[in-house]
Amino acid sequence: MTDHGHTARQAELKRRSSGRLMIFGFLSPTLAILLFMVAYPIFSLVYYSFFNFSALRQTTMKPVGLKNYEFLLTDPALWERFVFTGKFVFICVALQMLIGIFVGYQLQKNFRGRDIVFTLLMMPMMLSPVVVGFLWRYMLNSEWGIVNFLLSSVGLSKIDWLGQTTPALWAAAAADTWMWTPFIILLATAAFRGIPETIYEAAEVDGASPAYRFFRITLPMSAPVLFIALILRLIDSFKQYDLFFALTGGGPGSSTETVSFAVAKTAFSYFYTGEASALAVILLVIIIGLSMILVRHLQKMGEKY
Amino acid sequence: MNASRTSAIDVATRWIIFALLIAYTLYNIGPIFWLVLSSLKSRMDLFSMPPKLFFTPDLSGYQSVFGVGSAKDSASAVGVFDSLVNSVIVSVSGTTLAVFFGTLAGYVCSRFNFIGKGDFMFFVLSTRMLPPVAVLVFYHLMFARLGLADTRFGLVLVSIFANVGLATWIMKGFFDGVPKEVEQIAIVNGYTRMYAFTRLVLPMVRGGIAATAGFCFIFAWNEFAFASILTTTQAKTLPVKISAASGATGIEWTQICAAGVVLIVPVLIFFYLIRKHLLMGMTFGVLGRR
Repeated sequence: MTDHGHTARQAELKRRSSGRLMIFGFLSPTLAILLFMVAYPIFSLVYYSFFNFSALRQTTMKPVGLKNYEFLLTDPALWERFVFTGKFVFICVALQMLIGIFVGYQLQKNFRGRDIVFTLLMMPMMLSPVVVGFLWRYMLNSEWGIVNFLLSSVGLSKIDWLGQTTPALWAAAAADTWMWTPFIILLATAAFRGIPETIYEAAEVDGASPAYRFFRITLPMSAPVLFIALILRLIDSFKQYDLFFALTGGGPGSSTETVSFAVAKTAFSYFYTGEASALAVILLVIIIGLSMILVRHLQKMGEKY
Repeated sequence: MNASRTSAIDVATRWIIFALLIAYTLYNIGPIFWLVLSSLKSRMDLFSMPPKLFFTPDLSGYQSVFGVGSAKDSASAVGVFDSLVNSVIVSVSGTTLAVFFGTLAGYVCSRFNFIGKGDFMFFVLSTRMLPPVAVLVFYHLMFARLGLADTRFGLVLVSIFANVGLATWIMKGFFDGVPKEVEQIAIVNGYTRMYAFTRLVLPMVRGGIAATAGFCFIFAWNEFAFASILTTTQAKTLPVKISAASGATGIEWTQICAAGVVLIVPVLIFFYLIRKHLLMGMTFGVLGRR
């Protein structure tokens, strides 16, 4: 009897330790690569941000305390970049959510050729962002671009899209919206199709108007999915770099530089590595803070539904 | 009377909606159409005003991407095909390893409870939110010191890091869909947990692994920021190479458009193959199990 109990306990112990071995063995490659490629660089960034340091002259490292942060946070140019990034994010996310929800709502029903229409509509987001940037730069050329040709053929005047600050902002927003609205359409359609038909039928019996159906049933019931779409677009457009690299190159002047673009320029054109590290830390704090708030809000939403 | 008026409004609304949908479709499809058309144009036709819809196709853009034909020896085509080879090597090996590691981690996250699991999952998810340029400031130094700068191996490393989080989350979702009884029955019958994992559970998520691989490949294939900063000559990938494709006569638009078309083809194929799992991948598996 005791012998039997002993073997059972040993088997249990063996099972548990093999489980522990599995957890350790299976997690360690992922953990190792993420620690090496994320945690270590971030700690190093924080460390370098306290130095006057250039990647070109690695032997001279002068500790400057918080000077880098002081300089950056009192520099009006940085605030201009934040304002530009903010405008860009707001325009992009607003347009993409509006168009995406509208088109997604119309395409939720089954119709002939739905799969093909969907695949074709998804094509912009399959392109490499840098190709998207070049494609729009090519189409928006003020002399021989197709966009200005179409404008002038309907009697409108040509616009120097990439040579002026405000048109360049709208050009970048149009390109980003072109690329990512399909993503919102995809998520919105899936969310709308997940709402049970019986709820609509009940509303029908009560004589609900189409507007009521949409604002009181469809939107609230798909809110968590739409919120995930919003989070991803918010964060992704906030850190946008590739598109501006190819489309405007930050110009005219430095008027279309996002914060990400400014980090790259400080680090890899001027080689002010210390200052770039401080800027990267500021960017990271904002993005991590933003995503933590949003994810927490999402978890609350998840509990509600 | 009243009924006919509401139906008139209905008809008007329907036409407005239809017009808006057509307008969006033109905005969506138009640039793709223009990309394909421009990739086939000669230099003369490219800049002609008014733009030409009909012209004699010129394959020089594609020839320079694949390193064949008469365009092969032009100054702007040097190394473009090599960069395509780099793109294939880096994204295929990066994807394979990311999916391998992500499958292991995803399985553990789906089946076991361990201390700090929630933190681990959030840490993994947060790698998706990270702006590449921020970590690049340090990678730039680190890669130079470790001799990884301008090597394919370095880019493979970056590609694993950039995708392993995505792979872990999606694979966790797929493992969550396999009942726990599968392993319990196997263990009761005297098999080890490892046997149950490799011989029973893995074959059941084969489709999920393929979908995850599709996603990781798409991201690795289109990646630009990391590759542009961490390579100089040898290890350039196709998106990086074409971004520098400006010859003596300005930007090589035909070549960029042709490369764009070449780059989208494998993505289109993967997209079609994994279409059932699209939501799972795009949202880190958060929505996949709804």
